[in-house]
Amino acid sequence: MKKKVLSIMLCLALTASAVGCGSGGSEDNGEKPEEAELNILMSFPQYMEQWEGYCRQFEEKMLEEENIKVKVNLEMPSSDQYDSVLQTRLTGDDAPDLFTIHANNIAKYTEAGYLADLTGSEGVSKVYDDVKKTVMVDEKVMAVPIESTAWGVVYNKEMFEDAGIELPETLDDLRQVCEKLKAKGYTPFMLAFQEQWVPQLMTALTLGGLVSGEKTDWLDRMYEDQGSYEEVKEIFDVIDLIMENGTDRAMEEGAEMGAADFANGKAAMYVNGFSTATMMETNPDLQIGMFPLPVNDNEECTKINLSTSTVLGVYEGGEQKELAMKFADYVLDDEDSSQLFQDCGFNPIAPCHDYETTPWVQEAYKYVEEGRSYQDLVLPSAVTDEQGKLLQELYVGNVTVDDIIPRLDQAFQEANKLAQ
Amino acid sequence: MKRRKRAYQITIKVLLGIVGLFTMAPILLALMNSFKTNGELLSNVIALPKALDLENYIRTFDKMSYWRSLGNTVFLAAFSVILICLFSAMAGWKLCRTKTKLAKVIYGLFVFSMLIPFSSIMIPLYKVVLSLGLKNSLAGLSLIYAGTGTSMAIFIYYGFVKSIPIELEEAAAIDGCSSIKTFFLIVFPMLKATTATVCITNMLWVWNDFLLPLIVLSDNEKYTLLLSTNTLFGQYSSDWTAILSALILAALPAIVLYIVFQKQIMRGIADGAVKG
Amino acid sequence: MKYKRNGNVSLLLFTLPALAVYIIFKLYPAVSGIFYSLTNWNGLSREYDFVGMENFVELLTDTYFWDSLKFTTLYVIALLLVANAAALILAVAVESVKKGKGVFRTIFCLPNMISMIIGGYMWQFIFYKVFYYMADNFGWKFLDKSWAGDSKYAFLSIVIVAAWGCIGYLMIIYMAGLQGVPAHLLEAAALDGANGWQKFWNVTFPMIRPALTICIFWTLNSAFQVFDVIYSLTGGGPGRSTQSVAINIYEEAFQGNIRYGYATAKSTVLFLIIFVITAVQLKIMQKKEEEL
Repeated sequence: MKKKVLSIMLCLALTASAVGCGSGGSEDNGEKPEEAELNILMSFPQYMEQWEGYCRQFEEKMLEEENIKVKVNLEMPSSDQYDSVLQTRLTGDDAPDLFTIHANNIAKYTEAGYLADLTGSEGVSKVYDDVKKTVMVDEKVMAVPIESTAWGVVYNKEMFEDAGIELPETLDDLRQVCEKLKAKGYTPFMLAFQEQWVPQLMTALTLGGLVSGEKTDWLDRMYEDQGSYEEVKEIFDVIDLIMENGTDRAMEEGAEMGAADFANGKAAMYVNGFSTATMMETNPDLQIGMFPLPVNDNEECTKINLSTSTVLGVYEGGEQKELAMKFADYVLDDEDSSQLFQDCGFNPIAPCHDYETTPWVQEAYKYVEEGRSYQDLVLPSAVTDEQGKLLQELYVGNVTVDDIIPRLDQAFQEANKLAQ
Repeated sequence: MKRRKRAYQITIKVLLGIVGLFTMAPILLALMNSFKTNGELLSNVIALPKALDLENYIRTFDKMSYWRSLGNTVFLAAFSVILICLFSAMAGWKLCRTKTKLAKVIYGLFVFSMLIPFSSIMIPLYKVVLSLGLKNSLAGLSLIYAGTGTSMAIFIYYGFVKSIPIELEEAAAIDGCSSIKTFFLIVFPMLKATTATVCITNMLWVWNDFLLPLIVLSDNEKYTLLLSTNTLFGQYSSDWTAILSALILAALPAIVLYIVFQKQIMRGIADGAVKG
Repeated sequence: MKYKRNGNVSLLLFTLPALAVYIIFKLYPAVSGIFYSLTNWNGLSREYDFVGMENFVELLTDTYFWDSLKFTTLYVIALLLVANAAALILAVAVESVKKGKGVFRTIFCLPNMISMIIGGYMWQFIFYKVFYYMADNFGWKFLDKSWAGDSKYAFLSIVIVAAWGCIGYLMIIYMAGLQGVPAHLLEAAALDGANGWQKFWNVTFPMIRPALTICIFWTLNSAFQVFDVIYSLTGGGPGRSTQSVAINIYEEAFQGNIRYGYATAKSTVLFLIIFVITAVQLKIMQKKEEEL
């Protein structure tokens, strides 16, 4: 009696676990010639539909051209969880075949051995050289650039015309711009600091301008523990100016919400070039332009920031690496990719992207053509985070500029120590 | 005396009514505004909607794959709770009734681990999930909930068993009833109230848990309600009307269940907690 | 002796299912977590070194961690007092209502049924849109503050939202305790000339002590691990000013420098703190109960 019951109990326990295991595997029905699954992890939840559609196109193309029945599993965790999800997957031996990362992290992921070398593959060979440089490590192309942005200050053209303003070239000009706007009753700057990466953009633009125009060796010295934020303290002149002349309630505004409010005319300028799609959606009649953010009174430092943010990497050790490479090529497909990039509002990165860009992008690229642009600085991501956090605290008055400088220096040194 | 009592009743009801209104306010405001158009919302957030326009809901309903997400959540919660109740009742009862050192050690182990913070086991747990092939498996996720939830449940069962007389079980043993029979025929029915508690508290926990499904489920066909809602935040981060309708949709099943089964839920939470 | 051995066999048989899932999904990950806390693993590379107690030594001078611990402690104390006092008062009040008790109970408990992720976002709407709307249109200037965005008020907001979410749960436990107070004892006390407060303090309170133990244990344990509500409300910001220990650990493991070994060292410390405090609390309360 007892034994019988024991075996029933064991069975119960086992079935429970078997149910769990059973649903993990997939079954082959063996009829189709070749089947493959491709797992892709991306950080664009806002472009879910566009990318889903593109994956379906890829499936069709593979079936037609290669006779492979591909099932693409596209996952889009929300952006604040993205890094942790990706990391857990990579370390848990459950790496996706392709995944997006920020261009600044390419070196780190390359070093850890997660990225496949894409040099010479069909897709990336089409990319403009300037952009290609941003995805290279030791002369090798390690990822497909996707989001390449020119950024500075987005402004409302109507308001600028109404106030009779010429685009500022120096910090003094910018001060006058603020005065003129205020005289007309406009709030100069849109502040949306809820997410820390938005205030962080102010440090990225000012440091970038300053380093490209004057303090050319500052960043290199920072990486050798030889520099200090004390030397670039003047960036806080601009930051103060922006914060003093901004909208209220900045900590309650997310980046997208800020873009929507900006589009509705709440302010005349917004230091965030990434949310323009939301702006145009909120107010299709909106006329916007872009100018580089002045840092000081040296026009040499007033330049447009060219950066690649999101890139797509192929997982080095993946079972489907070959197929993944094909997808990476397809992202820059001559026929189909132009539509995708346009739908997502990305900027063209290869000659095959022949769609008409928006006027503000053209305006920004005029500066680029004049040679008035620089590559976005690559700071350790811990330092970038720290800048965003401290600027939030500066805004709410928890810290002063003098508190910030030693803390940033320390964060940089710690990052240097860990990188060794 | 009587008049004073009536005056007291009225005062206390008015006061409680005010507190109740504040308690409900966030949910009511979310509900009200979820029917509005974006412009309507921006112009006045505390007015009633002009019309019961379901457009926001239709939009988010599809986006969330509502029925599928709900089905996944129901399955996950039900299966987890069944496992937790069964496993813990068996263990809790036997641990309480066995007076050996081993029983003490095992019980101590369970109680001790109630205090392990989830964040410290997150990544190692994920590795376990992968090596057992439980990724993207709702049933597998239920097993994890069973593993992390049993300690608390055993604690509750143990406390309750302590308070019920052992005579009945002894009589059954004298009649030649095996442990298993005794458990299922005599003990388990007596534990009904405790089972209800364990069932309810764990149901609430699993239903509202966010981080664990996020790690284990990556296939959006397996997403729970909360995960689908979360994905939606990314897509509509500048549109409160869409967000609010999604929030209401995500909260709705729990609220409906609560209103239907509130007596059982209340009794479940209370009985177990106090007697445990 | 023979009985004892049989007892153990049967014991193992009954605890096997629970033990199996528990060991696989909780004990083993916890132990390996402690192992990682002795390494410099960054969570990303395949190789790492054993560094002994280095992480724990570094932790001693990590001001961000101690700040978050301070914040968490304040939060625990606030929630312990606010939520439990409010829940007990509500329980007594609702219990004293003659007709319509159920309606109030239902209403107060409703927030507890909703995930704090959803609740946090609903409150964001209140703080971001509704409060400002009222401040702008009704002239209620006291609402014109950055409730979730300014460190001065964010703590208060977090406690309010967290209390909103858990008061109903605690209230039910207290109400059950109150219902267990025998009416004849209260009547006897009334005959002895005790007033309302004396009745509560001398008759009711000792009877609801077990409920109090449960509620305090629950609040301590969950409040020390607080994550969801802060995550959805302030994300730990502005800057780091509303970081709880759990958020700080999460950040250490997944953002910035990404130091998984160091993060698990932090979780080990968090675990020890929670363990000691709750163990002490249970001991004290048990003693008190036995004394009665």
